[in-house]
Amino acid sequence: MTLDKILVAFDGSENSFKAVEYVANIMKHYPIDLILILYVERLPDKDLFRDDETWLSQCKKNEVEMTEKLSSAKENLIKQGVSTDVITVQYFASCKSPFHDTDICTTGRSIGMDILRIREEGNFDTVVIGRRGVSKAEEFLFGSVSTKVVQAAADCTVWVVN
Amino acid sequence: MSSDVKELINKYMPDSQMSRFGKIFTDTTEFMNIDYSDVIQIENGHFLVLKNEQERRFGLVDPKYWVKRCKHLESGKYQLLKLAFYETFPMHIGPFEIKCYRSPRKEARILDLVKGDMRFMQGYSKNDIEGNNVRVLDIIRGKRLDVVVHDIPVDHKTYFHEYFPDIFEKFIGACEAIRFLHSHDEKHGDVRRDHLWVESGTGAYRWIDFDYAFELYENPFGLDIFGLESILVYLVGKANLTMQTLLELGIENSILNTLNSGDYSAVIGNRVVNVKKIYNYIPNPLNNILMHLSSSSSVFYESVDEMLVDMNKSLKEIRSL
Repeated sequence: MTLDKILVAFDGSENSFKAVEYVANIMKHYPIDLILILYVERLPDKDLFRDDETWLSQCKKNEVEMTEKLSSAKENLIKQGVSTDVITVQYFASCKSPFHDTDICTTGRSIGMDILRIREEGNFDTVVIGRRGVSKAEEFLFGSVSTKVVQAAADCTVWVVN
Repeated sequence: MSSDVKELINKYMPDSQMSRFGKIFTDTTEFMNIDYSDVIQIENGHFLVLKNEQERRFGLVDPKYWVKRCKHLESGKYQLLKLAFYETFPMHIGPFEIKCYRSPRKEARILDLVKGDMRFMQGYSKNDIEGNNVRVLDIIRGKRLDVVVHDIPVDHKTYFHEYFPDIFEKFIGACEAIRFLHSHDEKHGDVRRDHLWVESGTGAYRWIDFDYAFELYENPFGLDIFGLESILVYLVGKANLTMQTLLELGIENSILNTLNSGDYSAVIGNRVVNVKKIYNYIPNPLNNILMHLSSSSSVFYESVDEMLVDMNKSLKEIRSL
């Protein structure tokens, strides 16, 4: 297995920042072609809002917050000594996004599968993901992105950061 | 004006004995103020309010002020009007609390999607003059499926061999209905025993109440699938099998002593899902479906499709017994 292109799955949580830090610690002295910090958008469900206006405002707020977190994650990598030239940040928008008009988007059915699709298309050899540590019952009811990635990943290495 | 209501009653219900006449409401924002003898006017339709609907749970009666039982004056048809109520409340499933939202527009959208599909309650939605969504629903005459099953006056073995196969087949149809919603990126949102009704006369299984919404990201249909599996466990067991009900049913200690933690639900820890341990004539393929819900399982159903494949196979086997 090679270690040339790493995809870090990022959702703005403490655990995903830990995953970024872990990658930084390992990769700061290692020649690498590309580190992608990927956020797959979790658009708030329209049905949770009274009207489109309130929903739009929440979507905007979320996107601004997440964009700031992505920048912060990139800064963390640079601070640790990873070259800025190899870092890319991607905000992978929802197909239902009111602000992004693109055919390449997430349907929201499975973030885990979206991550793996982007990994495959970008030929990333390694996926890094943080883990919340959910119980069996929680996994059953609510699902787990890290479990889905570990179960469904093929032809790549997966690092799960606790 | 009460005189307007009186005129409407005289016109459409000339034989009515009503002595009280309320007001006509074209704006349903303050639904708590709308009560018996008022009329809700939606576009050109007039709905005489008969009462607020109630929900009976755990022995308590809970009035649902936003759901009015009405008579549509123009057609004489009895219907339910669900008025816009933006409630947020915690839903409890086992040890988990899920923030749940009542969404009129979700239900309105699903009503459009399932128009003419009798596996679901039927109705339509319109806005009142203030833009509040009002859902006009046909009333399903019948009983909850679990009540029907509970009331079948036979022992479990007779129930399982003589009644369950038909119930199972119809339940598979109800699961296909949920699959239809999922294929259109919609969730039922509150799949539980009291939301699946058996219609009198036709015997059709019909889903009701689609207005629950919540945030689920990695497993958007997980709660619906959990609900379907839980109903199936009930249907196979002809009861919610907890230690208490098992004792009430007179299940022998020699059987009860064999139960271990892996035989119980992963989510609701006091419910036995390994029904075969209680009733040993349950075929393995059917019991294996139930065991997907158990705390000893490492494999869960991720889609209704997966469940349907196993259920159809199991039904075939049961039919050939």
